[in-house]
Amino acid sequence: MDLTARLLRAAAARPRLLVLTTPGGTPVRLAVEREARLRDWPVAATPADAGLLVLAGPGHPGTAPAVERLWRDMPGPRARLHARHPDEVAAALDAARARLASPDLQRADAAARPAAPPPDELPMAEQGPDRDGLWLDRLHVPLGPFLPDWPAGLVLRLVLQGDVVQQAALAGPAPVPGPAAGAGGRFWAEPWLRAAAGEPVTIGEAARRRAAAQLDSLARLLALAGRPGQATRARRLRDALLAHAPEPAVRPAVAALHRAVCRWGTLRRLTRGLGVLSTAEAEAAGVSGPAARADGDVFDRCREWLECVARDVRRLDATGPLDPADPVGREGPRGRTTGPLPPSVALAGLLPRLLTGTELAGARLIVASLDPDPDELAAAGAELAHD
Amino acid sequence: MTDPMTGPVAGRAAQPVAEAGAWWAVPAAPALLLGLAVLTVAAGAVLDARDAGRAVTPRTALRPLLDVAHALVRQPRRLPASDRLLWRLGVVTVPVSAVLAVLVVPFGGHAVADPSVGLVWFNAMEVLTWAGLWLAGWGPNAALSLVGGYRFLAQGLAYELPLMFALISAATGAGSLRTGAIVAAQQDLWFAVWMPVAFAVHLLGVLAFSFTGPFAYPTGRDLAGGVLGEVGGADRLLLRAGRRLWLAAGAAMAVPLFLGGGAGPGLPAWAWSLVKTLLVLAVLVAAERRLPVLRADRWVEFAWVVLLPLSVVQALVPALVVL
Repeated sequence: MDLTARLLRAAAARPRLLVLTTPGGTPVRLAVEREARLRDWPVAATPADAGLLVLAGPGHPGTAPAVERLWRDMPGPRARLHARHPDEVAAALDAARARLASPDLQRADAAARPAAPPPDELPMAEQGPDRDGLWLDRLHVPLGPFLPDWPAGLVLRLVLQGDVVQQAALAGPAPVPGPAAGAGGRFWAEPWLRAAAGEPVTIGEAARRRAAAQLDSLARLLALAGRPGQATRARRLRDALLAHAPEPAVRPAVAALHRAVCRWGTLRRLTRGLGVLSTAEAEAAGVSGPAARADGDVFDRCREWLECVARDVRRLDATGPLDPADPVGREGPRGRTTGPLPPSVALAGLLPRLLTGTELAGARLIVASLDPDPDELAAAGAELAHD
Repeated sequence: MTDPMTGPVAGRAAQPVAEAGAWWAVPAAPALLLGLAVLTVAAGAVLDARDAGRAVTPRTALRPLLDVAHALVRQPRRLPASDRLLWRLGVVTVPVSAVLAVLVVPFGGHAVADPSVGLVWFNAMEVLTWAGLWLAGWGPNAALSLVGGYRFLAQGLAYELPLMFALISAATGAGSLRTGAIVAAQQDLWFAVWMPVAFAVHLLGVLAFSFTGPFAYPTGRDLAGGVLGEVGGADRLLLRAGRRLWLAAGAAMAVPLFLGGGAGPGLPAWAWSLVKTLLVLAVLVAAERRLPVLRADRWVEFAWVVLLPLSVVQALVPALVVL
């Protein structure tokens, strides 16, 4: 075996993944994240560092150009896979790894690449007054549709001066065509949608789903706040809940995570005053659920999630039917599901106002603390498109 | 308890204990530094595996080294309108300056060189990483990477002055900028004991110039990796290696500056140096995992309002005792 083949094999023993989730792909993303964690396959932040492009979820024409751009940006050796269903993830990862380790396939891929990347049309920086009255360069930077720990598909068009957001405008995600727009395509809100459609759903099942959804949001926020260890713990708990772990197995870990996140008040101090949203403002904007109840900044919303999860974990074994009158039945992970539009639409609508004037780091934390669900946004887009 | 007065007075009288210039020290110092850096990577991998709920085996510790193979087979990446020369220069500067910095660090009784301005040399190499990281952020012509580079500068403005005062405290205590003389001045009492603030600030400084743990802001996940976001292959390997090499270099420097160098009972000097360096590294690895990333805008305020006055007062203590 020659040296290149050996190196390829060694590199493919720990491939680095670029996970791109399409609207409706949440269960596939969860399966990919779980496999990656258990196999020790790092999840890369950018194509520069990744060798394996993982497209998770149903095909989605709206995000396809962005996927192709990232694929074009990915240096070889590389491989890609498209998993449409959680059950096929493990096998697809194995197959893609084999392609990554194959010298023949990698040589063919390198030979088939265009010699030079087509130049992107980069807008030149223009100038304008900044918040201190200085005349500074303005940069147009889109956030999304794909970023690490970002609601996949959401696009925010920012005007930056330095790293201060001067303007923010919301775009996308594009609506999902076909059956993905139904209850099955909205994984986190599914128990409430099914109950509303008259199917039998237990309180325990819905509480389990809601706690997992909020741990998923929490993990993104913690990762962005620079606490990767706590983010991993939140993801492990999320996976345990979705794998039907019994209440005694998760309750102490939830309490421990709560203590760790709030310890010494560092997160509180580092996020104080970011993205302040009072209950009155939230309700006026049509927001319900934890973001409205938190009545405060990024940290208040983070703590509200932790408290919701702690409450839901006590109800995992409740066998009563899900009923709009009880506290679990009233709202899904992001708020009431009974309105004309999913709750994430109102959350996303708040972003341009809350982001203006913040720094990029703060903007990312604000988005993560509201965490609109891309599946809900895409479904709303589809509903709107139908009307 | 030793009288703190005897420390600096004895130090001024003592001769430098480090023996400089042995030929084998030239390859040994970088090799030792690399070994220590790999050790921090292995420790991180084991702790990561425990966090993620994976079984911890001997292979666990070595798996991150597979990234070296990944870096070697990687095709070069071409970006439109990137500044390749400055980009590459910045990337190379970070690990090279770390290796150059340890040339003046005495290990046991030996150092590659013991110039009269050893401490200034170490500090100058550390300041080179400012240029290196900023260029690495500037080079790819990408917004998030550039923001990452600027973040390091903002962070640098906050950590550099307290760090300089911490180094000056040790130099004042010994009445010399020669690292050998600083070790000799601690024969009776370690500087860490009567300059605890300077010691703590030095440890924070090490995390900061290694842009890791609470100071990983320039490579933040919110910037999709920031300075590291656009680099791939060998360039990425160099930057990541530079990060670990600097952590090891900072830990190695803490021993002669604050922990009495190779002094200790029973064991030979090199063994004491090794034990102390490993302990400092363990503290740093634990700290980088436990402390959350500090946002530069909030950290600058703390650094200037709390840390800087404290380290100035700390520098005054040896100045008053010695002069």
